[in-house]
Amino acid sequence: MTSKFLLALALTIAAPFIGGLVTGIDRKITARLQSRYGPPIAQPFYDVLKLLGKDRMVVNMWQALCPVVTLTASALCVFLFGMQADLLLIFFVLTVGGVFLIMGAMAAPSPYSQIGAQRELMQMLAYEPLLILVFVSFSMVTGSFKIADVYAYGRPLLPQLPLMFIVLGYALTIKLRKSPFDIAACHHAHQEIVRGVLTEYSGPNLALIEIAHWFDVALILGLCSLFWSTSALGAATLLAGAYFLELVIDNVTARMTWRFMLQNALGVGLALSVLNIVWQSFNN
Amino acid sequence: MSLTDWINKGRLKSPWVVHFDCGSCNGCDIEVLACLTPLYDVERFGILNIGNPKHADVLVVTGTVNHRNKTVLKNIYDQMPGPKAVIAVGACGLSGGVFREAYNVVGGVDKVIPVDVYVPGCPAKPESIIDGVVKALDVVKTKLGLA
Amino acid sequence: MLEYLVFLLVVLPVLSAVALLCIKNEGPRKSVVIATGAVLAFCSLALFAGGSFQLRPQSMLGLDPDVLVTGLDFALLAVILGIAVKLKSPLLIALGLLQILPLGYFEYSFARHAAAGPSLAADNLSLIMVLLVGFVGSLVCVYGLGYMKEHEAHLGLKKTRQPRFFFFLVLFLGAMNGLVLSNSLAWVYFFWEATTVCSFALIGHDGTQEARANSVRALWMNMLGGVAFALALIAVYKASGTVLLSDLLAHPGGGASLALLAAFFLLCFAGFTKAAQLPFQSWLCGAMVAPTPVSALLHSSTMVKAGVYLILRLAPAYAGTSLSSLIALFGAFAFLTTAALAIGQSNAKKILAYSTIGNLGVIVACAGINTPASIAAGVMLLIFHAVSKALLFLCVGAIEQRIGSRDIEDMRGLIAVMPRAAALTVAGILTMLLPPFGVLLTKWMAIESAMASPLLVLILALGSALTVVFWTRWAGLLLSAPMPAAGLVAPGAAVQAASMRIPMTLLAYGAVLAGLASPLIYRSLAAPFVSLFYKGAAYDVSAGSFASGAGTFSVYPLFLLLGAGFFYALRLARRLPARSASAPYLCGEQTGDAAGNVFRGPLGPVAATPANLYLSAICGEEVLTRWINVIAMTMLAVMFGGIL
Ligand code: SF4
Repeated sequence: MTSKFLLALALTIAAPFIGGLVTGIDRKITARLQSRYGPPIAQPFYDVLKLLGKDRMVVNMWQALCPVVTLTASALCVFLFGMQADLLLIFFVLTVGGVFLIMGAMAAPSPYSQIGAQRELMQMLAYEPLLILVFVSFSMVTGSFKIADVYAYGRPLLPQLPLMFIVLGYALTIKLRKSPFDIAACHHAHQEIVRGVLTEYSGPNLALIEIAHWFDVALILGLCSLFWSTSALGAATLLAGAYFLELVIDNVTARMTWRFMLQNALGVGLALSVLNIVWQSFNN
Repeated sequence: MSLTDWINKGRLKSPWVVHFDCGSCNGCDIEVLACLTPLYDVERFGILNIGNPKHADVLVVTGTVNHRNKTVLKNIYDQMPGPKAVIAVGACGLSGGVFREAYNVVGGVDKVIPVDVYVPGCPAKPESIIDGVVKALDVVKTKLGLA
Repeated sequence: MLEYLVFLLVVLPVLSAVALLCIKNEGPRKSVVIATGAVLAFCSLALFAGGSFQLRPQSMLGLDPDVLVTGLDFALLAVILGIAVKLKSPLLIALGLLQILPLGYFEYSFARHAAAGPSLAADNLSLIMVLLVGFVGSLVCVYGLGYMKEHEAHLGLKKTRQPRFFFFLVLFLGAMNGLVLSNSLAWVYFFWEATTVCSFALIGHDGTQEARANSVRALWMNMLGGVAFALALIAVYKASGTVLLSDLLAHPGGGASLALLAAFFLLCFAGFTKAAQLPFQSWLCGAMVAPTPVSALLHSSTMVKAGVYLILRLAPAYAGTSLSSLIALFGAFAFLTTAALAIGQSNAKKILAYSTIGNLGVIVACAGINTPASIAAGVMLLIFHAVSKALLFLCVGAIEQRIGSRDIEDMRGLIAVMPRAAALTVAGILTMLLPPFGVLLTKWMAIESAMASPLLVLILALGSALTVVFWTRWAGLLLSAPMPAAGLVAPGAAVQAASMRIPMTLLAYGAVLAGLASPLIYRSLAAPFVSLFYKGAAYDVSAGSFASGAGTFSVYPLFLLLGAGFFYALRLARRLPARSASAPYLCGEQTGDAAGNVFRGPLGPVAATPANLYLSAICGEEVLTRWINVIAMTMLAVMFGGIL
């Protein structure tokens, strides 16, 4: 128990660095795909450090409150993942982060942040069911919602849940703010509805949200790795492959509307899930 | 290194730019945008063109200031959290340029807000604009007492 | 002692109600309501401290209590029939007759032969309900004092109609206590009808066209349930020779005969109507025309809770049958669809109504899943939902009195106008929506206890994802205001009357603390009830964590960590220097006005008016309701057909 606790703690401390590093590599590869040289790998860290040092500027006090809660929730999710806790619980805690991010954005009467918040809400509406479906499919294979049982299962889940991996890919694209689903705010500095849900967050508050995003990146990679929980090499290959695919998709697609996202992500996601779950229950 | 040192390092390595067209003929704007293309790729230096003054560190202004948009310029400047720097780009931004004598023109950017770096040219070249941003970092450095 | 407590809990509200009907002055009315509430709260605690019991009252007012209740029952039905005749509604008259005739038949041919048994009984489920009535119900009544004064002033009534209002409101509490403490189904039936009449009177209280129409709708839908109940009385007696709940539940899980199962279906059907489950949701949505305390009472501790109480109560008796699995599906379906319907609504009371129906759906689903874990989840959701929902209704009532609207779009930036009410509303929303609070804990329990059926898990999980949308945007827009010049509370902010403010504040604390106390609530309230009828512990609760084979929910650690984050954030936010305030970004074209959302346009100021996405093309009532009703009715038909 203590060793698990220490491991979880270590993971929680390492997670923002992992997340930041992945983001840095992401930016570099994206630049190369666009035949640019690109920023240094450590660029995301420079950005966040700079943001932390900027003057505080808020529309009202909720804007200062919400990012802290969002960050707490995201860090807690990674910690729970490290404790090999309940997947549903992690999901619910993840919701806390999303809800507070939106509340803070809505707290500013600016139309850009309002529209961004509504779109973010639509993004949550699109990826939350998908994530839950993935967790439900895990539970159907392993018999419980505990991550510990995924590891105890002893076989990789991917052969049994191949379609669910695609479903998780959809959720990943939305959660990581990648095209075609970077609707509420793009993780690149694109200028659509100013900066969407992030418009009114600035300086240290934006830095906290960015760090929370790194935690989320680490968490999502962790969730992906559960599909090949039996070997570190397998998990790493799976992750690298999935993330690279994600990057390619990000670079070859344009941003779509939220209607498209709801129809496409939910429609395809639900269909794939049902297929996989039915197939899976026949297999048993 | 203390946290402040780290933060200062970040400040010099990640200047996010907000570009405000204050009534330019669009010649300078095109050159500013050219900086983002693969040829110049300013992201190498951590420079991002960001659409929101609340996220920006450097305000790049092209074109002359007129009576209609001077409050906008001021508002945008005020909505940038410090530390921040301002770069005036092109002859118009510097002094009003060819529009200087027009009835509706106030003049250069520094009539309304303090300018740290002046990038001349009609239009200014992408290289000199990038140079301007690097100069602005020097100004920030001095402001922070690091130079 | 016990007799006195029960007497106080059931009969005292009736006496107080009569007194309130006669009192025309505000002062004494206040004293009577507060005193009644205090006595009810105290007695409910005392009764709870005494634990489970069975009781056969020997005589009441010198009469055999069974005869008394029967007499009152017919009197009540006569009143209903009177109302029906007065309204000249053939449907209501038919429904009234359909109850009187079976009841007469039942009393004439069976009641005399029924073995005498304890007609009153209580186990933990009943005691929980009594506690809810005693505390939440009383607080709502106290709130009613301040609310109705304002309400009548607003309507400009010459002659106060408050005596009538409080008569029914307090009577409701007595009827509800009687309902949950009765062991004889015949008695339950009497109180069941009493709540129907009370709700009818209260929904129509304002006497407007709409109020009257909606009260009639509530009446006929609930009378439909009443008819089912009356028929169920006969069916139960014919099948098992008893109408005592304790006898019916004596052999939990022991395969009920088909006839008995049909009777249970009728009882559950009655429960569905009372709990406003699909397709009967329209009466509860219509009930929002009533003054807010009525909605608060209907939604939290009385009326709809009576429906799920009955379904939960009978759950052990139909455990393991296909009826049970269908009930589970039926409830889960209600949860998913009402969540979608709520997304399409901007009317705050309607959002709350759909959320109530959805949560009751979860409770029904829990009863249907019928495992120890799910029953525990259902019982606990009953508690958490009552507190949070009462709070939210009281808040919406207070807000509506101030801003004259119940549309959430009109509540934008309410934090600047009514800081306290807005903050309490946000608190109420968060306790409904987020971990580590109770409602979410029970949702987690429900989903994980449904694991045997993937379809059920899927529906519940999807519904839970949908609820995020309508709660979050409401909470967000309440906060949508620029920074006030001086501190958190703007000058000139509204303050509610003490009788409204105090219940709201108490309920908010209650909602948060109930979440914190969930391990305790499980151990002392839910688990003892579950272990009466089911073998095996549902959860292993240690160090503030709920653990079962399916997963773990750590309540205390979550409270600790998220709470620490929240309070640090709050401290940080409160200490923000005034100079960090900045106007919202409007492309530099802001006019600098107080609202913070006005652009400087070429022809003058232009206000940006953002609105929520309501997805009305998918989630609108007009789009969904018809299909939902058809599916729900099909499910009911399948349930009934499956038994036959
Ligand atoms: S400086 Fe020359 S190119 Fe630039 S805006 Fe002025 S006129 Fe156009």
